[in-house]
Amino acid sequence: MAGKNSPQDQGSEALEKLTKERDDYLAGWQRAKADLSNYKKDELKRLEEIARFANAEIILDLIRVLDSFELGLSAMERMGEVEKGIYLIRGQLEDTLKKYGLERIEVKEGAPFDPGLQEAVASVDGEEAQDGHIAGEVERGYLLHGRVLRAPKVKVYKKRT
Amino acid sequence: MAKILGIDLGTTNSAVAIVEGGEPKILENAEGNRTTPSVVSLSKSGERLVGLLAKRQSVTNPQNTISSVKRLIGRKFSDPEVQKDKKILPFELRESSDGGVEIKMGGKWHKPEEISAMVLTKLKKDAEARAGEAISEAVITVPAYFDDSQRQATKNAGEIAGLTVRRIINEPTAAALAYGLDKQKNEVIVVYDFGGGTFDISVLEVGDNTVEAKATGGDTHLGGDDFDQLVITHLVSEYKKQEGVDISKDPLALQRLKEAAERAKHELSSSIETEVNLPYVTSDSSGPKHFLIKLSRAKLEELTAGLVKKSIDLVREVVTARAPKGAGLGLQEIDEIILVGGQTRMPAIQNAVKELFGKEPHLGINPDEVVAVGAAIQAGILQGDVKDVLLLDVTPLSLGIETLGGVFTKLIERNTTIPTSKSQIFSTASDNQTSVEVHVLQGEREMAADNKTLGRFILDGIPPSPRGMPQIEVSFDIDANGILNVKAADKATQKSQSVRIEASTSLSKEEVERLKREAAEHAREDKEKRGLAELRNQGETLVYAAEKALREAGDKIPNETVQDIEGKVKDLKEALTAGDTEVIKSKLNLLSGALQKIGEILYKGTKHEPGQAEPPKEESN
Repeated sequence: MAGKNSPQDQGSEALEKLTKERDDYLAGWQRAKADLSNYKKDELKRLEEIARFANAEIILDLIRVLDSFELGLSAMERMGEVEKGIYLIRGQLEDTLKKYGLERIEVKEGAPFDPGLQEAVASVDGEEAQDGHIAGEVERGYLLHGRVLRAPKVKVYKKRT
Repeated sequence: MAKILGIDLGTTNSAVAIVEGGEPKILENAEGNRTTPSVVSLSKSGERLVGLLAKRQSVTNPQNTISSVKRLIGRKFSDPEVQKDKKILPFELRESSDGGVEIKMGGKWHKPEEISAMVLTKLKKDAEARAGEAISEAVITVPAYFDDSQRQATKNAGEIAGLTVRRIINEPTAAALAYGLDKQKNEVIVVYDFGGGTFDISVLEVGDNTVEAKATGGDTHLGGDDFDQLVITHLVSEYKKQEGVDISKDPLALQRLKEAAERAKHELSSSIETEVNLPYVTSDSSGPKHFLIKLSRAKLEELTAGLVKKSIDLVREVVTARAPKGAGLGLQEIDEIILVGGQTRMPAIQNAVKELFGKEPHLGINPDEVVAVGAAIQAGILQGDVKDVLLLDVTPLSLGIETLGGVFTKLIERNTTIPTSKSQIFSTASDNQTSVEVHVLQGEREMAADNKTLGRFILDGIPPSPRGMPQIEVSFDIDANGILNVKAADKATQKSQSVRIEASTSLSKEEVERLKREAAEHAREDKEKRGLAELRNQGETLVYAAEKALREAGDKIPNETVQDIEGKVKDLKEALTAGDTEVIKSKLNLLSGALQKIGEILYKGTKHEPGQAEPPKEESN
């Protein structure tokens, strides 16, 4: 039998070390290749997402213009008849935004308040049965490609105490 | 291997990040946002809401909406801070049997760590959905001034949320990690953290792999929200002066104004003036009223100067006061300053900090995310990812060759991860050129002469052919050890020549920094030089093309046109010798216009009689 430090032992130790090293390197290399491939897939998804929401800031700014337009329109309505063309301009602006994936979030007065879709900005006194239900819309809300871009701001009933 | 989550558990907002592929990455929550409000609520229907949803319903349910729980965690009920906050917070607090704090939500009493755990549970769940794997471990950050009991309570919150808290680290330390400053030796770092509701200053000392907080200070009730409030107050009073209407009495108008004021504050970080424009903001007996007030950056700075000064005075005190109040250091002894928190985007704050220390602060990483990024880096070190990445080096400077006109053409850009290889096809500059010299350079300057030569070699035996015809592929290959091999091969004859350069990455940090700085300083003149060189190349190519066209098709072209082109070639040649960019451009355009005539004439396939040819079109520039 060979001694503890015989050439055979040394040889098999070295072989073991090299085998381990080889396995480590192979695993590292495979992992690096897999990481790259996964990264590419993630990046593609991320780019698609970025492309879909690239306009979000501009659209948000335009919604604010639309808000003011609505306010102006109702002020004009209160003062008398409004030229039809003004409604057509509003329609044009709404259609344009719709083309880019914008969708209005409808708010029903009297429906239960849902913080997943709406933001409460004020409480108003109401009957017990109305507690926690929507008392009215203060500012319109919108979805962009199905994601809440701006939650509608609502007033919520609170039972009188 | 399972990921460890880095969590910045903030007073008003929280953020999470992981290390992926060696890089820290902020994970978006389920609502698609990079930060999550640290707010928890029990809705009237008994549903637990966390984050944005809890915040959205806080107005209708203030007693059951818990925010700023970080102000209470791990503190005694008798703590003066708790007593102070008790007066401001809209929810109920009481003393627990062990002297701690308990918070009432939905008729039940909870410990602050239970509330924090609810925030952490959401952060964990959303992070798992983004990362696509289960996460069971985390690194959580806390303010440097947190004592043992506050740290322990934060750790407990993590455990309640089902996370093994591998480490609790200080927020300023995380910020230093994010900027890689933990590797510095014997440096003193000041972290200036101006968040939404709190202002923290920390003085850190970096030793051998340790970061120690030497002094901390700040104001737990000073933040960006105070800036917003000042802007709103100003706008309300201006409007009152202008229109005689107190808009603060109209809750809905005030709501619109608040949002507009916050937007205006953000805009003034990048522009000098903005307009707060709210049409139909309110109405009175005279009809609708509009809000239109200009706000300049100077006005914003004037309004908030008191807050900025207060923060700077606090910084001075924490740095210079003797222990235990401060670090007992001179301002000039501070080596690095890091800015954290959204409010530090304000140029006036950046300038005030710069002026105080006489140094540029670090502000490259998003100040809302820097703490989470640092937490993720710490997590990465624990999980072994970051160590692995250190094995991959990058090229400190760009590598390339000299091309026509003394221009430096980069093949491998600075900061490319190695090993890597790149190749590009080049050609000859004159007719019948049988050899090319490949001059290998390193640097960031536009012209070859300003960069460092790494080596040169000649590839010969190229078959005689017109300029631009031979295809010479130059390839650069850097192996994992930073050894660069440059090879040039003629595609037609397969002849090749190469050089091996050992020292392409062995530059000292200082040398790299100096070269980068020089490149930035000379960027403009270098660009002009390069522009001129490229224009010259273009000019010479056109002269060559014109002469060739006249040689080959001169007999088919009317004499007038020939003479015209010859004149313009001569003009361009003279301009090239003189070297004035504008003159070269104009002569180049003239010749190029004249040359188009040849094409037109040849295309028509008929030889025009002298006099029939249209006068050459002249372009003025």
